[in-house]
Amino acid sequence: MRRGRSDRVGLHIPPFEAFLLLGGPVLFLVLFFVVPFLTMASDSVWTDKGELTGDFYAKAVADVFYWRVLLATFELGVWVTVCTALIGYPLAYYITFYLRDPLLRRLIYIVIVTPLFTSNVVRAFAWMLVLGRQGVVNKSLILTGIADSPLLLMNTRFAMVVGLIYILLPIFVLTVASILQGINRSLLEAARDLGAGAATTFWKVTFPLSLPGVLAGSILVFTLSVSAYVTPAVMSGGRHLVMPMVIFQQYLVSFDYHVGAVLSIMLLVMTLLLLGVNFYFLGRRGKVA
Amino acid sequence: MKAETAVGDPRIADGFIRIVGLVKRFGGVPALKGVSLSIRRGEFLSILGPSGCGKTTLLRSIAGFVEPTSGEIWIDGRNVNKDPPNHRPVNTVFQNYALFPHMTVAQNIAFGPRRRGVPKSEIAGQIDEVLAMVSMESFGHRYPRELSGGQQQRIALARAIINKPKVLLLDEPLGALDLKLRKRMQVELKRLHERLGITFVYVTHDQEEALVMSDRIAVMNVGEIVQLGTGEDIYRQPSSRYVADFIGEANLIDCILDGAGTIRLGPSSPPLPYKLPRSSAMNGHAAGQAKATLMVRPEDIRLGEGGERNSVVVQAKLRDKVFVGQSWRLFAVLESGQEIVVQPGFSPSAEKISRGDEMKIWWPQDRSQVLGE
Repeated sequence: MRRGRSDRVGLHIPPFEAFLLLGGPVLFLVLFFVVPFLTMASDSVWTDKGELTGDFYAKAVADVFYWRVLLATFELGVWVTVCTALIGYPLAYYITFYLRDPLLRRLIYIVIVTPLFTSNVVRAFAWMLVLGRQGVVNKSLILTGIADSPLLLMNTRFAMVVGLIYILLPIFVLTVASILQGINRSLLEAARDLGAGAATTFWKVTFPLSLPGVLAGSILVFTLSVSAYVTPAVMSGGRHLVMPMVIFQQYLVSFDYHVGAVLSIMLLVMTLLLLGVNFYFLGRRGKVA
Repeated sequence: MKAETAVGDPRIADGFIRIVGLVKRFGGVPALKGVSLSIRRGEFLSILGPSGCGKTTLLRSIAGFVEPTSGEIWIDGRNVNKDPPNHRPVNTVFQNYALFPHMTVAQNIAFGPRRRGVPKSEIAGQIDEVLAMVSMESFGHRYPRELSGGQQQRIALARAIINKPKVLLLDEPLGALDLKLRKRMQVELKRLHERLGITFVYVTHDQEEALVMSDRIAVMNVGEIVQLGTGEDIYRQPSSRYVADFIGEANLIDCILDGAGTIRLGPSSPPLPYKLPRSSAMNGHAAGQAKATLMVRPEDIRLGEGGERNSVVVQAKLRDKVFVGQSWRLFAVLESGQEIVVQPGFSPSAEKISRGDEMKIWWPQDRSQVLGE
C-alpha cells in the first residue's frame, strides 16, 4: 500500500548532531549563494554613494536591446529543451525497457555520464573541430559531393543549440530514466491485459506516468541552457548574444556591475515567471500522480 | 506419482482451457517442466503451491506475459500461443492490483471497454454495474491512492470483469490483505464466480483459500502438477507425502515395509492392516525392507480401542495436551518414538487423560493412506 503516512519511522537525530549535519550545507549555501545574491541585489538598487535608486532598472528595462537578447536567450532555451527531450526520451526509454543485460546497461550509463567529467570549454572546442569550415562534417560533405563549398555551421544559433544539447542531454536522460525505472511493470502488463497494444500502452500509461521526469528534466535543461555562458560564447563565436554573455560583458568589460546586477535579476525573474506559467498550465491539464 | 495419471490426457479431454506439455525455462532454469492441464468451462480452478513452484509462471503463460519454451495453450478451441496478451480472451487480477495511479477508479475500469471501442455512453452504465457488483458504488471519481488495499482489490476485480472475459486469471489477489478481510473476500469471490459464470483460474500458496473457493485444485511442486482434484479428494487422498504435508495438517509416520508387503511401525511391532498400494515408489523394494509413509490427519484419530471394522489401533503415550477451543489437541509419542498429533474433537476421555499416561489410539483405515515420497 502506498498511502501517505505520517508515522515517525525515520532515523531520529538528536538536535546537536542535527545542527552539525545541517550546519555545513547551510553555511556553504549562505556564504556562496545567499551572500553573493544579496550583494548583487543591493548593487542593482544602491548607487556607489549609497543612495537608493531605481535608475539602473529604468535604464535596463527601457533598453529594447536587452529585451531582444532576453528573447533570444529564451528562444535558445526552448529549442535546446525541446530537442533534448526529443532525443533524450527515446534514449532513456530504450535503456530502461530494452536493455535487459545489467552489464550492458551499466556500460551505457557510463558512456552517458563520462562527458560530464570533461570541462565545458574542452567540449565546446571539440565541436569547433566537428562543425568548423575545415571540420569533419564539412569535409565529408564536400568529399562525398553533397556540398560544393563548406557550410556555415560554426558560429550560428544552430551550433549553440547543438553544443548545449550535447552538454545537457545526460542530465535529461538520467532524470527521465530514473522515473521510468520506477514505473511498476505490472501496470504495463495490466494495460496489455486490458486490450491495449504496445503503442496505446505507451501513450496511455508509460508516458503519462513519466511526465514528472520529463518535467523535472526539462526544467533542469531549460534553466541550465538560459544561464549557460561558456558553450553559447564559444559556439556562437560572439556573433549571437545571450543574456549570460551580456551580463559577463557588463561585469568584466564595462565594469558596470549595477546594470550587470539588474540584468542578472531580470534573467532570474523572467525565468521563474516562465516556469511558473508553465507549471500553472501543466497543473490545470491534469494532476500527475 | 506421475502427473499424467492424475491429470488425464488433455489432448483427449474436452477442456475449455487446455495446456499441453508446457515447458518454460528461464535461461536454462526450468520453471515449468511439461505441465498438462485441462480446465473446464465455468470452473473455479486453483493452482496451489509454495513460492517458486511455477504457479505464477503457468498463470502468466495463459495471460500471454510469458512465452513458453515449448508446449501449447488452447482457450475455447483456439491455440493462443502466438496471441499477444491484448488479443487473448482473458483478464488478470494482479497481485499488487496494478491500478493505473494517474487515472480515477472510473477511468481505470473504462480502460478495457475503451480499447474494445465500446461507446462512451454505454461504458458509464457498465461501470456503475460492475462497481455495484463489488460494492464500490460512488467510488468512481476517486484515485487509487485514496483507497485502502481491500478497496483497490475490488476495483481491480471490477476492471477485469467489465470486459466479460472468457477466463479470469487471479494471481494471489488476496495476498496483501489482512486475515479477516481475506476471509470475507474469499466468500465474495466465490459468489462473484457463481454469478458471472466465468472460468476462474486462481493462483495461491494458501491451501485454506484454495479449499474454500475451488471446484478443483491443481497442486504444484517444482514446475510440475503433482495432483489435480477436488479439495476433498486432495485432502482425503493425497497422492504423495508432499501433497499431504502441504494441504491441511497431517501426521506422516515412517513405517517399515517388508518383502511380504506388510507394514509395521517398527521392526518388532505387529503388522498394520494395510494392503499395499501399487505405487511406483515401492516397486523397487520387493526384497528386504523398505520405507513407507503412513498419513493420517489429527482430526481422524480417536482415543480408545476402536471397534469399527477396519480400524487401525496403536499404542501411544501422552506427552502434552493443549486446549484449542473446539477440542483438545494431544501430542503423543508412538512406541517407535515418533511423534503424533491427535485432535479427537469433543471427547470426555481426552479431557481425563493426563501427561505421561499410556493410551490406545485408533483411526478408520480408509481415513489414512500409505504414501510414496
